[in-house]
Amino acid sequence: MTGIVSYGIYIPKYRIKISDIAAALKKDSIEVTAGLQIEEKAVAAYDEDAATLATEASIRAVTSGKIEQTQIGAITVGSESHPYAVKPTATIVGEMLGVGNNYFASDLEFACKAGTAGMQFLWGLVASRKIDYGLAIGSDVAQAASGDILEYTAASAAAAYVIGKKHVIAEIVDFLSFTSNTPDFWRRDGQAFPSHGGRFTGEAAYFHHVLSASKAILAKVKKEPSRFTHAVFHMPNGKFPKEVAKRLGFSYEQIQAGFVADRIGNPYSASALTALAAVLDIAKPNDTIFFCSYGSGAGADAFVFKVTKEITAFKKNILFSVLQQIEEKEYVDYAFLAKCAMNKQCL
Amino acid sequence: MKVTIAGIGMTKFGELWDKSVFDLAEEASSRAIEDSKIDSKKIEAVFVANMLASKLDGQDHFGAVVTSILGLSVPAVRVEGACASGGLAMHAAILAIMSGMYETVLVLGVEKMTDPSSCEITTALMGAGSEEERLSGLTFPALYALMARAHMEEFGTTREQMAEVAVKNHFHASLNQHAHFPFPISVEKVLRSPSISFPFTLFDSSPISDGAAAVILTKKSVKKGIAITGSAVATDTIGLTSRKSLITLAATKIASRKALKQAGISLSDIDVLEVHDCFTIAEIMAMEDLGFCEKGEGGAFIASGQTRLGNKMPVNTSGGLKACGHPVAATGIKQIVEITEQLRGNALNRQVRNAKVGLTHNVGGTGATVVVHVLTK
Amino acid sequence: MNSPVQNWRLTKNIHTKVGKVGVVVSWTKVYVAPSGFEHETPYYVAIVEFTKGNRITAQVVDCESDPQIGDKVVTVIRRIGKPKAAEVIQYGIKVKPNAKQK
Repeated sequence: MTGIVSYGIYIPKYRIKISDIAAALKKDSIEVTAGLQIEEKAVAAYDEDAATLATEASIRAVTSGKIEQTQIGAITVGSESHPYAVKPTATIVGEMLGVGNNYFASDLEFACKAGTAGMQFLWGLVASRKIDYGLAIGSDVAQAASGDILEYTAASAAAAYVIGKKHVIAEIVDFLSFTSNTPDFWRRDGQAFPSHGGRFTGEAAYFHHVLSASKAILAKVKKEPSRFTHAVFHMPNGKFPKEVAKRLGFSYEQIQAGFVADRIGNPYSASALTALAAVLDIAKPNDTIFFCSYGSGAGADAFVFKVTKEITAFKKNILFSVLQQIEEKEYVDYAFLAKCAMNKQCL
Repeated sequence: MKVTIAGIGMTKFGELWDKSVFDLAEEASSRAIEDSKIDSKKIEAVFVANMLASKLDGQDHFGAVVTSILGLSVPAVRVEGACASGGLAMHAAILAIMSGMYETVLVLGVEKMTDPSSCEITTALMGAGSEEERLSGLTFPALYALMARAHMEEFGTTREQMAEVAVKNHFHASLNQHAHFPFPISVEKVLRSPSISFPFTLFDSSPISDGAAAVILTKKSVKKGIAITGSAVATDTIGLTSRKSLITLAATKIASRKALKQAGISLSDIDVLEVHDCFTIAEIMAMEDLGFCEKGEGGAFIASGQTRLGNKMPVNTSGGLKACGHPVAATGIKQIVEITEQLRGNALNRQVRNAKVGLTHNVGGTGATVVVHVLTK
Repeated sequence: MNSPVQNWRLTKNIHTKVGKVGVVVSWTKVYVAPSGFEHETPYYVAIVEFTKGNRITAQVVDCESDPQIGDKVVTVIRRIGKPKAAEVIQYGIKVKPNAKQK
């Protein structure tokens, strides 16, 4: 059995209310909040970036899983905000963790699904017994131009997952991807902020790919949506995941545990993986989890997880649960965001 | 120790926009030579104290710079120990004379600090600290603030007591024509001025100043010459984190005990002092570490007025670093110049009556180098 | 801070310094900063003690009010200063207030 052995999440403690951003931009706060169905988002400090966030999450994953750093055979970091265009984030994390020199490392980019893409590739290295443990990370300090609708939701967080064969807490039962070349959201090299196709990012992009991947894996594993304990979908806003769940036949109760976007926003590559962690924090042995992430450009990664007995012992080792981190917050104002943007240190 | 001060000279300290580091070097040297009434051709070696010309002016090789300016071809060397550069240059010059190799030498301390931006000079001065301190975003005010906070925590020293140091030194400076800030201030002014690094405000900190000071030292007897009877140096860890204590400069204790022993005197013999008040807390700790009061009582000791002109034992009649100014490498020499004026009886309305023995205390960094000199009439 | 070699040398063994809990021995709040730190003012810097005599200086982050002498803090990795556009990024040790776990 190959699966998740451990995980660690880092959500920065600063928050800004969507209504405060709207007020600063002289927009209608109520209208914006209702439209996006997000209350507030997580903001990184001026001296944090995708590498430092990834490091924090990884340390938590490795500590909770009681894994020796030198046992990690591969690291992937998926992000839209890698600190360097050329020079891997994965090796910065590797050095900060102290994994040594005997490991594979690569950075990935596939918009918001770069983290789960890493999980897919590392499953291969682990299942083929090429490595004992692989560390798949999704980490972002998400950027958005001032006044763009994305400014309300682009957030910061990191999620690190250790994939292995020993003491698996959630088996990766199966996974697949539905991929196409769709320019719904992109950022050219050298540009500070991403661009997007507005309403084109809805039906033709998010919905088409998530629905296609989800339906394909449901058929493959031969299970009805009602048979799953939990369901997690990528959350670019509060509306899309509720709508796609409904269309597939999942109930609101099933997506509840993983529904964190309303309180932390959309931390891009860490988004779906943070939601998955919120589910794992409260999951019980034999729970089944349906999961589908989405990355613009475009593609959706669908997974089916089955929680094992090992989760009971693992829970005792969790350092900071997702809920705890969501609750531990310090509000900042729009001036803080603007100052960070001017200093291009965080957003 | 047979070393005599034959001549002294200094420039005004302050924001001297139209003077370059070379102009300042020339001015102070010429004044010292003139005061000594010795022909410059009799100078056999030159010791130059300077910390920042290399970084800020791109000028190394300062020994040769000075001999070029003076038209000499004698041995010349630059001495650096951050803010203790002046004291160290004195010590080196004294050793040179005591070795028997040179009879008469020029010691010059010069610093030009007002050309770069405030940020650049703040950064440059951190060369006096450790690498770890630089990477922590520390500044010199912040380093001394860390010591002040520890002193306040352990002994209840107050910001008002620290402010009294600045008030006293400003009063002294108001009587000194060479001072950067020749005007009195109040405790209120100190407390209300802009924050630099909590608990320090602008007026807890010595300023960024230009200036130079020089002395001519000789082995020969000089009419009305002032003798150097003690010259001692001690070092401590470059960074604060390796220190045994945040509230004591161990190097001050070691160097001062040694210098007093060399001079064959005790603390009660000292009539006037120049101590290193780069920040107000520094003078408080100096009074304690030199031994004039118990550890922790420096604040009360100074606030009592004992070290003010007109009272028992005046400290920093020049105005100290705070009010006379602190062109880094010039300070150690300026201290010698001030004590010499006092012992000669030429300190005008700053004069300490019957001053016969004086002490200078010059510190580098947060106490990594301390140089103490004793001068006797 | 702009030499890639110095940058590389300074981060060797950094993994041994993360996640360590220490105590604040002294602190200050810096309003006037050196180059590379201007955008961060005002910021806290503290002397933190781990085992007896083992001390470091470090910026204190994620701290909304004055630290107190005796506070427990934990070491984290953050960006140091502000590199110019084409320079290598310096990562290093800072400290933040030690939160309770779980």
